[in-house]
Amino acid sequence: MHETSVAQRMVDTAIEVADQNGGGRVVGMRLLLGEMTCVEPDTLSFAFGVVSRGTRVEGCALEIVRVPTRLRCRACGAERGGDLLELCACGTPGGEVLAGRELRLDTIDIDDQAALPAGEQP
Amino acid sequence: MSKEIEVARDVLQDNRENAASNRRRFGREGVYVVNLMSGPGAGKTTLLERTAEELGKRVRMAVITGDIATTRDADRIGRHGVPTLQINTGGACHIEAHQIARAADDLKAGHFTWELSQGSQTLPRWSAAGEAGGLPTRLDLLVIENVGNLVCPAEFDLGEHDKVMMLSCTEGHDKPGKYPLMFQESRALILNKMDLQPHTNFDVAAALADARAINPSIEVIKMSAWKGEGLQAWFDWLLARMAATRRM
Repeated sequence: MHETSVAQRMVDTAIEVADQNGGGRVVGMRLLLGEMTCVEPDTLSFAFGVVSRGTRVEGCALEIVRVPTRLRCRACGAERGGDLLELCACGTPGGEVLAGRELRLDTIDIDDQAALPAGEQP
Repeated sequence: MSKEIEVARDVLQDNRENAASNRRRFGREGVYVVNLMSGPGAGKTTLLERTAEELGKRVRMAVITGDIATTRDADRIGRHGVPTLQINTGGACHIEAHQIARAADDLKAGHFTWELSQGSQTLPRWSAAGEAGGLPTRLDLLVIENVGNLVCPAEFDLGEHDKVMMLSCTEGHDKPGKYPLMFQESRALILNKMDLQPHTNFDVAAALADARAINPSIEVIKMSAWKGEGLQAWFDWLLARMAATRRM
């Protein structure tokens, strides 16, 4: 339900990183999204399209990579996938979350030849 | 030609930084901060009314309450003589750390919602005990009442010392398993509306089994905030946590 504020941060961060790297249009973006993270990918893609409109991120190809949950058992230390309520082979539920909470901007693709939108001319 | 640039940045990094800054500030000011979370209608505001009534006399307490709209919660809590500030999130489903920083500044400056909406006839009770001008120059306890929601508040650290989750019998015992994140991050779980439990199919053992599978160290307080049962355990828990964080 907070996908719009997440999408806005992705656009802001992409523009900031693009500026630090010589400017240009942001034409691609890869986001790592953990399976436990409370963000819905389709809603996020839609929100991203809306908030990027009129910026140099507009039309950017957004790749969302789901990161599977990895848990470490608190009793025996074994690592496993699945969710928190599934038991470890040793019979213990839950565990320490090693992966699956990601909401991480991994990479962006910049095209420094493409024209910027009217509002963003340097 | 496009070039790929590595970013490797947490999308919510700004919130994490703001939360860290809040945490340093609360540590410096010696105030214990608890983030109270639940679905809508679980009874957070009723619990905070009772808490303001009882603990407001004994410690310097303030409340920041978040809702999408209205100042109704701040009016309800502030009526009990505790400085209360309403954050209206305007549609957002959670409170963010920068809003807490601003609200804490406002509290310090004496801008309480209940004063604006109720007139200034009710000074905070502890102001009579020697605080200049009735302003919360020093607080012992700050409670943040998060927006009623079982999903989003878990993703936004506010800089609090503890998260506390409230679940009421009428919501169903399957909620810890269905919304694990918020239960996983909480130090305590309040089971509220226990007076209604005999009239529902709420299975206390099943709810606690799931909550403890997700978070083995979660402490459990059963209560009826409305009827008053179990409130003492909650007050004792808060006072013990206040003392423990002060020793840190």
